Amino acid sequence: MSDIERQLEVELHRVLDPISATPIPPRRSAGNRTAARTVLGGAGAALTLKLLTGVAVAAAAVTVAGAATTGSINPVIWGQQVSQHVADCKAKLTDGQHGIGDCVSDFSNQHGQAVASDARHHGNPSGSANGHGNNPNANDHAKNKNKGRSTQTKGASNGQDPTDPPVHATVTLSPQP
Amino acid sequence: MASIEQPPGEAKPAPESYEPGSEADFERLYRNSYRRILGTLITLVRDRATAEDCAQETYERAFRHWKEWRPEASAEAWLHRIAINVAISDRRRQKLRQAGELVRRLGRPGAGPDPSVVAERSDLFQAMKKLPPKQTAVLVLRHYHGYSNREIAAALGVPEQTVASRLAAARQHLQAVLGRR
Repeated sequence: MSDIERQLEVELHRVLDPISATPIPPRRSAGNRTAARTVLGGAGAALTLKLLTGVAVAAAAVTVAGAATTGSINPVIWGQQVSQHVADCKAKLTDGQHGIGDCVSDFSNQHGQAVASDARHHGNPSGSANGHGNNPNANDHAKNKNKGRSTQTKGASNGQDPTDPPVHATVTLSPQP
Repeated sequence: MASIEQPPGEAKPAPESYEPGSEADFERLYRNSYRRILGTLITLVRDRATAEDCAQETYERAFRHWKEWRPEASAEAWLHRIAINVAISDRRRQKLRQAGELVRRLGRPGAGPDPSVVAERSDLFQAMKKLPPKQTAVLVLRHYHGYSNREIAAALGVPEQTVASRLAAARQHLQAVLGRR
């Protein structure tokens, strides 16, 4: 046995032998594990981090989309403006016409573009300094919604306001043979 | 060929038999092996409290797979394998924590030495703790618990030759560290 091996054994016994005199604690069961440790350690930490990142990204997306639509980063103002336009759109509906989706969608489109263009005129080519009006996705979403959809389909499904009276689409049934 | 003889002066306990899945047997295994598992973990992690925590985690993980354990393998060797993996995970977490602590302690004096760790402050012990955990583990299994290279290989699920090369690398590193002082 080499010197280093002998030295190593002596050292390990010096440090670890006293452990044999210590009492054995009761075994911890999985249920005793603290919630904090589960969340903060190992796979829990990774999942928590991913979850928090997802929430942060979603919150940022909502803020940008809301700001792009209303021109303000204050959510109270978003609510007021959207409520106002929903009411206006409802008022514009003629008798027998259903669905205000297109009307509300037009508002978001126009306002988003106006805010973005305003930001560019103020020497901010990207339009991002004030955090609104530059969300191409928000506008594109609104545009894409209109693509390939008839007004009737929209009014009968996604574009319908929850406060609208129930839509009874005219369904023509061909007689069964 | 790696040596498989026992280091002199080491007396390993006779292997006990356990029934996989039996809670009573697992409790007996816990009582029989806890101190040795804790001893291994103390050399692998930064302090005694962490080693105790890792030991408990080792038994939690082991209990979850207790039904799958096969009696052909040594139960204690199996526990050592789990313990080493737990210690490696703890070292990773520790690296992440250190960054946070550094920011938190900025501008404040560090805490004084913990009396419970003063005994572990020898040059050799500290040098051993700085080795990669897999190298430290083979040193402890070989030079403290008295496992043969073959048993260590079975416990860690690696070839015997890997055990021999890890031992050689660890000894060489320790020799170099101690030679510099």
